[in-house]
Amino acid sequence: MLFSRRLMLGLAMAGTMAGALAFPALAGEGPTEVDLFFPVPVDGKLARDMGALIKEFNETHSGVKATAVYTGSYDDTLIKTRAAIKAGKPPAAVIMSANFLLDMQIENELTNLDALIKADGSTKEQFLGQFFPALQGNAVISRSVYGVPFHNSTPLLYINADKAKEAGLDPSKPPQTWAELTDWAKKLTKRDGDKVTQWGIAIPCAYDYCGWMMETLTMSNGGRYYNEEFGGEVYYDTPSMLGALTWWNDLIYKHKVHTPGATPGPAVSTSFISGNAAMMMLSTGSLTYVRDNAKFAYKVAFIPRNVRNAVPIGGASLIMPAGLEADKQKAAWTLIKWMTSPEKSGWWSRATGYFAPNMAAYKTPEMVDFLNKNPDAKTAVEQLDVAKPWFATYKTVPVRKNLEDEVMLVLNGKKQPKEALAAAQKAADETLKPYNAETSLKLP
Amino acid sequence: MSLAEPAALPVATSAAARPDVLKRLIVRFKASLPAYLLLLPSLVFLALFTYGAMGRVLVDALYQRATPKAPVRFVGLDNISAVLADPAFTGAVINNLIYAVGTAVPSIGLALLFALALSRTHAVNSALRAALFLPVLIPMVAASALFLFIFLPNVGLLDYYIGRLLPVLPNWLGDPDIALYAIMIITIWKNAGYYMLFFLAGLQAVPEDVMEAAHLDGAGPYQRLRHIILPELKPTFLFVTVIAILNAVTQVDHVFVMTQGGPSNSTNLVLFYIYQQAVEHYDIGKASAATLLTLAALMGLTALSFRTMANREGGP
Repeated sequence: MLFSRRLMLGLAMAGTMAGALAFPALAGEGPTEVDLFFPVPVDGKLARDMGALIKEFNETHSGVKATAVYTGSYDDTLIKTRAAIKAGKPPAAVIMSANFLLDMQIENELTNLDALIKADGSTKEQFLGQFFPALQGNAVISRSVYGVPFHNSTPLLYINADKAKEAGLDPSKPPQTWAELTDWAKKLTKRDGDKVTQWGIAIPCAYDYCGWMMETLTMSNGGRYYNEEFGGEVYYDTPSMLGALTWWNDLIYKHKVHTPGATPGPAVSTSFISGNAAMMMLSTGSLTYVRDNAKFAYKVAFIPRNVRNAVPIGGASLIMPAGLEADKQKAAWTLIKWMTSPEKSGWWSRATGYFAPNMAAYKTPEMVDFLNKNPDAKTAVEQLDVAKPWFATYKTVPVRKNLEDEVMLVLNGKKQPKEALAAAQKAADETLKPYNAETSLKLP
Repeated sequence: MSLAEPAALPVATSAAARPDVLKRLIVRFKASLPAYLLLLPSLVFLALFTYGAMGRVLVDALYQRATPKAPVRFVGLDNISAVLADPAFTGAVINNLIYAVGTAVPSIGLALLFALALSRTHAVNSALRAALFLPVLIPMVAASALFLFIFLPNVGLLDYYIGRLLPVLPNWLGDPDIALYAIMIITIWKNAGYYMLFFLAGLQAVPEDVMEAAHLDGAGPYQRLRHIILPELKPTFLFVTVIAILNAVTQVDHVFVMTQGGPSNSTNLVLFYIYQQAVEHYDIGKASAATLLTLAALMGLTALSFRTMANREGGP
């Protein structure tokens, strides 16, 4: 009897202590603690830069204590965010690949930011007006703001200027059309009998990159990859995409200036750096890598056009998961606004190689100075005038993969562009079916 | 205690049997209580992280939502039939079978060869064993990142040397006809040294006197291998085969790092298919159903191999 009473007493005391430990907020007023999930898509140095950024934030904001949590690649970050939401402990803010936002919004996993913008006494137009117009498409869904652009990219044409001069081409006048590019690639391809010792051009194709390059080529051929207004449609079986894929196929099998098969991004950049490929199409995100590693003069240019100049954006936005408490929401909003301010945006851009989404960042003295020293970084920003949103649909990744699997078959000479695109369209329509069933095909 | 039991049974009448049995159960439980208490922590963790997760998979496999906004509802075996009807899944199963056979046979063969060649212990052999074991120590992810550069088309280590001999350079990871074999090469390279250890241990168990007797009887090296060493190594073979097949199903780090299942699903293995369903398609029901099917296949395989082992021990 006595034993059990003592035990009960002990348990009760332990319980109280555990309670006090678990709910420190009840015990006293401390700063609001928020977690920021961030991916590192390029290299390990970014993690250190992020640590420095968050440290500075915490030193200047006494009411909030932010912790940066490294969450792997873009895909891993989506997995971990979803797991945290399911466990009922969502992070307060996440740097999320810009084309995952629509899918998350469809799954009710995002906080609508309109109310927070309004509470600041601002309007949606004023808030979005800070950012390059090309970036707004991936941040706004059904006329509500769900993401704030953080770091972004576009595809670029990289040219080995030394090899161009060697071939009698003027690198200061880079090819502007597909015809000119094909001509350049032919002149830059070196053959030793049947064997190619130097390829004219390399375009990456691995999951993720392949879809982005197909969107790039389709856009510069006048087309669209998907319906920007509605997540249930993609335009794979269209003349503009057929033209794009046929040209890519021709570069390999007709002109023989592009290596056969699907080549992932790192293989393309290594090939370019080693002089095995004289030109390549790759993200602005690789600019820092090329700048640091190329032992030759290089030149970057807009992606050439067949019908019009147009490219998709890439990169990531800051989002808030759904289901956050009000105080965490407020704290995360302070953090997000601070991270996307002109000064911080510019600092991050110089550290990483992505361009700064906040237009005012390019008016800061540090940025003006940096662009004068590195004029190639300017090309990426200038190309933004013709940039458009990154494809985002219901189940973005599988829908993209439906196309990529077929494109890979074409690049390997196993299928013709026309039948491949028809098969891709059929597969994608099947993937999109459940979403259409409850939206476009749900009729009164 | 066990001696007392048969004596007690005939004495007990049917009326007295019940309390007696109960009493005995209590006594027995009390005796083994410390053992259960000692097992408890691991049982708790097993329940939490293994059986709990398996139970959850079992439940999740029975639910599905019709449209993205619709609530999940019970669908019975629909998820399983959807997985079986999915050409990507059948493709992954076929890839996995090719991969299992294509990695198990060469790596076991190489392992046996290495073990036979290096069975005697002296300095040179120890160094060679260490060298062959080295790939086992490299994490699969690191090894894959390494091979990514070895396999680079045109500029990689492999093309740099082979390129002088071939008219057209193969795109090792970019060609759907070659990619799976490229992945298999890494697995063989990585596992052969590991399996060699088992064969080295197995060779120690070959009775010295039998070998000597055979030698005296004039049996040549081949005859000794064929009629003494290989039969003695049978349990090792069985064990290593099971391990190799389990590895073929559970190791997908290199697929993850090098090809993501591509190009065109040519290197998609079952475990990676499950990952795709769960993460890319966000279809927990289908992912759970595919997990269940894989678990069932693995359990069947393990049961079969254990039975074969038990039969062997019981038999001649």
